[in-house]
Amino acid sequence: METRPLGETGHDSTVMTFGTIALNWLEQEGANQMVELVLDHGVNHFDVAPTYGDAELKLGPKLRQYRDDIFLGCKTQERGYEGTKRKMEASLDRLGVDTIDLYQVHGLEYEEELDRITADDGALEAMREAKADGVIDHIGLTSHGNPQLILDAIDRIDDLETLMFPLNPVVAGKDDEDHDYQAVLDRANEEGIGTLVIKAFAKGPWPSTDDLPERDRPYANWYEPVDTPEETRERFDFAASQDVTTVVNSGDPKLVAMTLDAASRYEAMDEAAQRSLVESARHDDSPVPEQLHH
Amino acid sequence: MDVPRTVTAALADRPVDGATCLEAGAGVGKTTAGLLTDGADRVYAMTNDAEHARTVRERVGLDHPDRVAVVDADLVATPLDTNSVEIVTAHGLCNVLPPATLDDVLEELTRIAAPGCHLVVDDYEPLPEDAAMRDLFAVENAARELADGRPALTFYPAATLRRLLAGHGWEFDRERTLLDPVPWTANHVAAHANAARASARPLPDALGDPLLAEIDRLVAAIGEESTGTMYSLAFRLPG
Repeated sequence: METRPLGETGHDSTVMTFGTIALNWLEQEGANQMVELVLDHGVNHFDVAPTYGDAELKLGPKLRQYRDDIFLGCKTQERGYEGTKRKMEASLDRLGVDTIDLYQVHGLEYEEELDRITADDGALEAMREAKADGVIDHIGLTSHGNPQLILDAIDRIDDLETLMFPLNPVVAGKDDEDHDYQAVLDRANEEGIGTLVIKAFAKGPWPSTDDLPERDRPYANWYEPVDTPEETRERFDFAASQDVTTVVNSGDPKLVAMTLDAASRYEAMDEAAQRSLVESARHDDSPVPEQLHH
Repeated sequence: MDVPRTVTAALADRPVDGATCLEAGAGVGKTTAGLLTDGADRVYAMTNDAEHARTVRERVGLDHPDRVAVVDADLVATPLDTNSVEIVTAHGLCNVLPPATLDDVLEELTRIAAPGCHLVVDDYEPLPEDAAMRDLFAVENAARELADGRPALTFYPAATLRRLLAGHGWEFDRERTLLDPVPWTANHVAAHANAARASARPLPDALGDPLLAEIDRLVAAIGEESTGTMYSLAFRLPG
């Protein structure tokens, strides 16, 4: 599988990152098999979080077996120094490893949170301390929040090494500032920050729970994912063609093999084909036909 | 309003900033929005469809009252002065112009173009023979021919428009592919089916009913289809 430099971390990540939330819905034996499958495809970057059910515990055995082959990303939703230290230790304990390669502030949404994590007793202080102690190697941030907030974070966190944010044809077709993740990508590339794409496979929101109760949803994603090999490959090729480092699979374990296949066969998508996908998504998004043409 | 990437790509290498522009066949104003985003000084959004004119005014004109003039006029006889426009766009226009009208429109666009004017023509190549959408367009055209004596859609190859515009004095600059394939979504299928039905319904039952039945069959059979290409041609009038 193709690899790309993860910003200036010195690590070359595979173009697909394994989002290990998928392990949460498997028994241990199935989780072990899935990690083997992912590694067989050559994926070298894994992402986990303590909020992904018991994914950390289920990743543990195979992570320990193949520790040298896996670049491990983990995250915390804590915003303060003490909480971050505690959660980092808990993750190390649950994963059963001594170090984490990339530790990320998880799910930044509000300006106040940015103030909090950058304060003297904030999350970043704990991360820097851990980095100095050799417990973590790199510091990152994830957000599906306002792109301007992420840009502010880039400005305010000098030692930020990676960013995880959404990018897909639906988002790319919207011009407003709330969807301008392209600006985030451009700035990250200027600053030498590695980029991880999430929601690449999001098709749209689920139907309302009146029409489709949560228990009847066919996938364990909080959005409706694309789920055919063709669509998955299109979405992967689109995302990986955006000058990003790596693309994270959608969270349902049933979709992982399809994404691995797409990533293994990745081909850069030309601009006319990219526009085709954006146009297609733009019209799908529109509740009424606006015009006969594109 | 979101500017489609097709428009952004078609305008990317044109000197829009500060220019006086005409969007010929304004539709809902997508290219007008793109021209404004790229810094056009003034945009004439021209259409002979009153509903489209109202939409452009509401979606784009209200935000830029000093820069947009929505002109409700026929493209074969516009109220614009000779040599008055620096950039002309025809985004998805030519395919709705019947062959008998196309040349008159191009002549009028050439009249109002200033020396050195840029012209951008974005349209669709004829669909591949095995495309299901081609059958729907055929029925749409059949119904419209029977109803009004003119086709609803004519897909001109890029090479045809290049030759035609060369005859009007335009120098070819470049061609680029905007969409490959073209995503004909369920919304597009529904919109074309509705246009075909509108032509078929007033026809005598013996003519209209088989067309309406075929439209229903095609809508169900097609669902959505990605096929064909959309191109962008750019020309320059000698200065």
